[in-house]
Amino acid sequence: MSAPAPLARHILSLADTKRLLGIRYSDWILGSPSIETGIAASSMAQDEWGHARLLYSMLKRLGFDPFEVEHERPADRYYSAPALDDPFEDWADFVAATVVVDGALAVALESFGGGNFALARSRVPKMLAEEEYHRQFGAAWFARLAGSGGEGAARVRAAALAMLPSTLAWLLPDDDLYGALVEEGAVWAGARVREACAARMGATLAAAGVGLADIEPARAGWDPERRRGPGAPAEEAVERARGDRNRALFVE
Amino acid sequence: MSSERGGLAESVYEVFARKTRGEPLRHIGYIDAPGDELARVYAWKTYDEENWFEMCVVPRGAVIPVNRADGPWAANRPGGKEGGR
Repeated sequence: MSAPAPLARHILSLADTKRLLGIRYSDWILGSPSIETGIAASSMAQDEWGHARLLYSMLKRLGFDPFEVEHERPADRYYSAPALDDPFEDWADFVAATVVVDGALAVALESFGGGNFALARSRVPKMLAEEEYHRQFGAAWFARLAGSGGEGAARVRAAALAMLPSTLAWLLPDDDLYGALVEEGAVWAGARVREACAARMGATLAAAGVGLADIEPARAGWDPERRRGPGAPAEEAVERARGDRNRALFVE
Repeated sequence: MSSERGGLAESVYEVFARKTRGEPLRHIGYIDAPGDELARVYAWKTYDEENWFEMCVVPRGAVIPVNRADGPWAANRPGGKEGGR
């Protein structure tokens, strides 16, 4: 797969992040705090994979082979947000990711759906409607842990603080390719994205003493081709994302 | 009506839904949740086998039985006993 143009890079970044987020959610279908929470995790994982599928399919219009994109890339060719490179260590990581990473994805989708790319304008609204339940889930669980005091509050705060710098850099790329997308009208300008991000997660994070405005995006080691910071998702997750074990059963 | 799970209190919520505007809401099940907001999410994600036109959740403690002294809402009847699921 050759280096993608700005629009393709943007779509790959959204799709890969959704695919990885689905995998990280799926790790908690069993072992989450209650049966209902596990069912919600399962449903959210399926939402993310469904959205990823829709986003990957947009790439066909841009000349990409969807099979190669979905099933043949190595880990270091994934464009996903760095906060999802490794499995969540505990439930606080899951909750923080629901607010920070899923929230950033929703903002990025909102921006993309509000731009002039016709496929995004038609497909993103349904994704955002499903994402609303993710927002409610994340906000309620984050408030619950943050308000509980003690270890739960400390862990969810630490998890959010660990995820925010790389996720903000992912959401707000400070490079020419992203600038070209803004120029074309395919996505919102940075200031509007920042505003939407603050509206989406600012109050939720504040409950744990995290000031969104105080967080600096981590831009060191930025890879402009993959639209992310250094590193790559863990191999085991990429094998699942590609469906390596089911390769003989693929049908299109 | 509430229970402790890992030190965090949860309550039972009854779930009602209907598939079309014209049909009556019917009781489709229940979920445990620590509050109204998560109850809404859990209900929507748990009972997602249909394309519901409308879904509502009601705290079990808010349902007052009228003619029965048994069943899941019996505890809410004045002088009632603890009900089962």
